[in-house]
Amino acid sequence: MNLNPEFERQLILECSQARLVGAPVVLGAVFTLTYFLDDYRLGNITAQAALTLFMLITLLWGTRQSLDSIVEEYRDRTWDTQRLSALGPWQMTWGKLLGSTSMAWYCAGICLLVHALATDNPAALPLLFFYAIGTALLVQSTGLLLGLLAVQRGQLKTGSILILVLVGFIVFMPSLSDLTDTANYLSGNFQSNSWYSLTVNSQTLHQISLFFALFWCVMGSYRLVAQDLGLRNLPWAWLGFTLFLIVYLGGFIPSSSYSFSLAAFAVCSVLTYVGVIVERHEPMRIKRLLDYYRQANWRRVGEELPLSALSFALSLPFAIFLSFQEQRFAWLDISLHAYPLAIALLVLRDCAIYLFFCYGKNPQRAFSLSLLSAALLYGILPGLFAAIGMTGVSALFFPLWADTAFSALACAALQCALILSLLLQRWRQNI
Amino acid sequence: MITVDKLIFEYPGLRALDDVSFNIAAGSITALVGPNGAGKTTLLRCMAALDQPVSGSINIAGIDVLEQPRDCHRIIGYLSDFFGLYQRLTVRQCLHYVARAQGIFEADFAAAIDDVSRRLHIQDRLENSPAELSRGLRQRVAIAQAIIHKPPVVLLDEPASGLDPEARHELAELFLDLQAQGMTLLVSSHILAELEAYCTDMLVLRQGRIVEQVAVKAPSLFKPFKLLLANPVENLLPLLQSLPGIKVINSDNKQQALLQIDADAAQQHRVLKALISLDLPVCEFAPATNNLQDAYLQTIRQIV
Repeated sequence: MNLNPEFERQLILECSQARLVGAPVVLGAVFTLTYFLDDYRLGNITAQAALTLFMLITLLWGTRQSLDSIVEEYRDRTWDTQRLSALGPWQMTWGKLLGSTSMAWYCAGICLLVHALATDNPAALPLLFFYAIGTALLVQSTGLLLGLLAVQRGQLKTGSILILVLVGFIVFMPSLSDLTDTANYLSGNFQSNSWYSLTVNSQTLHQISLFFALFWCVMGSYRLVAQDLGLRNLPWAWLGFTLFLIVYLGGFIPSSSYSFSLAAFAVCSVLTYVGVIVERHEPMRIKRLLDYYRQANWRRVGEELPLSALSFALSLPFAIFLSFQEQRFAWLDISLHAYPLAIALLVLRDCAIYLFFCYGKNPQRAFSLSLLSAALLYGILPGLFAAIGMTGVSALFFPLWADTAFSALACAALQCALILSLLLQRWRQNI
Repeated sequence: MITVDKLIFEYPGLRALDDVSFNIAAGSITALVGPNGAGKTTLLRCMAALDQPVSGSINIAGIDVLEQPRDCHRIIGYLSDFFGLYQRLTVRQCLHYVARAQGIFEADFAAAIDDVSRRLHIQDRLENSPAELSRGLRQRVAIAQAIIHKPPVVLLDEPASGLDPEARHELAELFLDLQAQGMTLLVSSHILAELEAYCTDMLVLRQGRIVEQVAVKAPSLFKPFKLLLANPVENLLPLLQSLPGIKVINSDNKQQALLQIDADAAQQHRVLKALISLDLPVCEFAPATNNLQDAYLQTIRQIV
């Protein structure tokens, strides 16, 4: 059988004979206990225990495994061997994702089998299995994605990344009790949602959302692996992801060109921040980009273009469109205004601040220093001047305090010019 | 086989490779030498398409490395200075994995593993984990991984570091064996004595620049011979020039000269006989040993 070599290697590492025999024995002991607690039958306690164990095994152990599948390559200096192999990025991605978690899935499969035997609600099983397996795969692939991003930044400790993944899971996903409650998976228990002009069963919407989340997560890992293998790619995947989010999220807000543009502007701005945080920032990359630009080698320019720059460029047309709309509003009655172009410039300023710290002597502190700067620029300094009645000076730091769009734009542009000149100076020192 | 043209690589604030250009002939073993920090590892990593230079081009066996890095990976073997091995696999499993990952056909795995482990003398270690092996044995396993797919070009960064003298000798034999099979090798090291045993060419890198590319073992019909006299002879140079079948490369005083004569032993005998018949007080007549160390130091002295 012509098995994916990376998957096969992970299987050899994970599925030793001792583990294949030992895992069912341990799980068997647990389920024997729940069998006794259920009055010598496979009842509700066993079903709940099996599902809870499934979640713990796939989410904690499985995610740790997928994370380590890439971090360990860096730690053990074997990544170069893999990069020099003939394996493609897709083989590498699914080989790592499914191979490293194979033992976890073996144990999880036993848990699902026990749950199927013990549940008093077999009609809910297909949907429950879909959500359980889909969610676990999503969290595991997020682990792999964050692992790839972490190693690119030289971060080889997985504990903090695992905590990040699990906190993200807890925040964005329903609670564990909801997931393990099989009543939630019975047909007819779902409400309807509006998506653009469509009325969609929320069950269907959840399934599609889960599918797309998993797709983009795996796609992200694939692109990062491809990048590490030396494959040159234009940022089509990022562009596709941006457009997908605009269309997907735009469907949940009242349908109008203004609200759609607002959603698009918000998505592009958030992705500008995401892009600037997740990408590697090497001063030489910008130098290469400028060299390619001078040579009018547009394909290479596209390949070297930072993703954040692409998202920012995409946000500008929406910002301009929103700026010419009537529907301006003040926020929370605190004289804070929404000036889209000024906001776009603030996004640019924040990214420039982050890059300024990235090109400094301690790039590992860039994120925390940027957060500190944001706290000063968005909160402390404008708040200080506003408190003593100098709102004009407040607007200088946080232009959304300004009374007119023009003055907000001028203040934001001034800040941008200042930060960008400092950034340029630091970049020149680095090359 | 290998053409590097105007390669520039920069780290922040440092130009590690500065306009590097050279050619390497097919079937040669080239020593890449230079002081620490000269850019040897960076050059090898660029050639292996592991790092991306600022500009320039690298062509290996007709493949543009910077444009088609994955195609390049299939035709090269690379041993990193700081290599790693899968500690939780056995040596056999490591080799099996690399063989599969390099696209070797299933029917050929066993033969490839047998062949490479025999060459590297690790047949009896195949069931051990790399963690149980000495530094030298792990080095051999790493080299085995690099050459298991019989690549036409092999790039080795400090392959002999950590090896004992016997293992270094075996390594030299292995490299000559690989050369005999038609492979082209580029070997970086700063231990010149180890390179001397097998290198045909030398590439000297200093502060990111190629300062010299010389053939250290150019196959030739002529051999340099050193002539040393017991006493100075006034008209040594015209006397030597009058002899047939020899060429005087240099004669910087009246007591010694460097001659180029036919590599044929009978001719060497005839020249020696002629020298004696001229009544020259010959006390030494032997092939001149122009070793790698001499060539390197000579190059370095010239550029300092």
